[in-house]
Amino acid sequence: MQPLANITPLKPAGAVEVRNVGQIFKTTTQDVVALEDVSLDVKPGRFVVLVGPSGCGKSTLLMMMAGLRQQTSGTITISGAPIPEPDPNRVGVVFQEASLFPWLTAEENVEFPLALRGVTKSDRRARAQDALKLVGLDGFGKRHPHELSGGMKQRVSIARGLVQDPPVLLMDEPFAALDEQTRMTMGDELLRIWAATGKTVVFVTHSLTEAVYLADEVIVMSPRPGRIVDHLQVSLPRPRTYEMLSGDTFGSLRDRIWRHIRKSA
Amino acid sequence: MRGLGVKAARVAIVVALFAIWEILSRSGIVNPRLLPSASDTLATLGDLLQRASVRKDLAVTATEVVTAFALAVPVGALIGFLIAENRYFADVAKPLLFFAFSIPKSIFLPMFILVFGVGFAQKVGFGFFSTIFIVIMSTTTAVESVKVEHLTVARSYGATPMQTAFRVYLPSMLPVLLEALRISMIFNLTGVILAEMYASRDGIGHQIATWGENFQMKQLLAGVLMIAVIAITFNELVRWVETRCSHWRT
Repeated sequence: MQPLANITPLKPAGAVEVRNVGQIFKTTTQDVVALEDVSLDVKPGRFVVLVGPSGCGKSTLLMMMAGLRQQTSGTITISGAPIPEPDPNRVGVVFQEASLFPWLTAEENVEFPLALRGVTKSDRRARAQDALKLVGLDGFGKRHPHELSGGMKQRVSIARGLVQDPPVLLMDEPFAALDEQTRMTMGDELLRIWAATGKTVVFVTHSLTEAVYLADEVIVMSPRPGRIVDHLQVSLPRPRTYEMLSGDTFGSLRDRIWRHIRKSA
Repeated sequence: MRGLGVKAARVAIVVALFAIWEILSRSGIVNPRLLPSASDTLATLGDLLQRASVRKDLAVTATEVVTAFALAVPVGALIGFLIAENRYFADVAKPLLFFAFSIPKSIFLPMFILVFGVGFAQKVGFGFFSTIFIVIMSTTTAVESVKVEHLTVARSYGATPMQTAFRVYLPSMLPVLLEALRISMIFNLTGVILAEMYASRDGIGHQIATWGENFQMKQLLAGVLMIAVIAITFNELVRWVETRCSHWRT
């Protein structure tokens, strides 16, 4: 398969650098430290998962990488440059469920980022077709979101995130609302798409299994204040298989993450 | 099959109502002078629609209704949008709007006559006044129905404020706005016809009031049927558009 054939040249994967980032939310009664001195490096082409209990600031950190929110202190760079506002040329974002526009068809949803930038209709359509093919939704372009299953909707979201060929793909709990089986399948699908495109992926989840199964590296975060408590390299070979879930390596990695999370919960 | 049955049942109810009306009048259970039969009323309706004066009255009312509507909807929508988009305005204005909305608009009618005199401006003015509050409130609701997730998606793909307005706000709001349009028209029509019945030289509302005063029951009932059909037609037209974009609601 020729991934995103119409997008030439394929942009190289990008790096994400987070340096001493802090975030303070001001409320009327007190200041809440959402993130404290967070630093991490995501090398080009890596699959990095941020995991932690709710309130640890993992989604906040992702939104900062997307330029959707600004940190109180520290710097974040994407492909070497800061990201003061969203830049679809450098970063594609895949959100949780229900982020597709219900009034647009699947292909129109995928075309949306291109339509904003005045890409011609035929060019748009061709690129959307390619992206839909890449995520395994060839032939579903004319359907509206309400005619698609939860897993298919998230495939459309991924296609939308990839259609501009961004060097970095950020994913905010994209499979959180899916049932267990669909979630496993979508994990495998995502790894296949990642392998085909070579993008840098930063993926947020609260599922330990999902984290270890997908990642090259897992960053474990704890809440109040949100900070990084561990950084694991996942040495499991690729492609990942279902059998690995019951192996010793997998088990010990998951246990290590769990011990951190239990401490902070 | 079930859908067909439901439709048949609806038609049957309407037919039955007309039949009961006919029987009550013909048998003399209700004084036919008070309640002329359905068939007589329908015949009168046909007769009235032939008359140039009645057509002129209808045209006058239609012009007033359309003018009031065309003024109230954009102005109300703009005010509603500005209120909903600004937290402070929303907090300040919303309870006040609810107060204003709860007051029966008809008690202001004499003031409209004093200010505008009897005529076109008074009826359009009162129609506008009867309609604008519901438009403002519906628009606020419509703006609030826009999902934060969708706005975040648009922002993350670099949408300009203009693009966000036309590609996210408008399509998100459209189902609620159509509903608002439909309900606004009910208020608008009521306002204009009330104004015509209260003080006017022409218009179908004025005619109906006159027929009532002169005890012309056949004409009065025919007028009621006429306005009912016009109101239902508009309502159904908007509802038809609504169902066509029903999947937007999901």
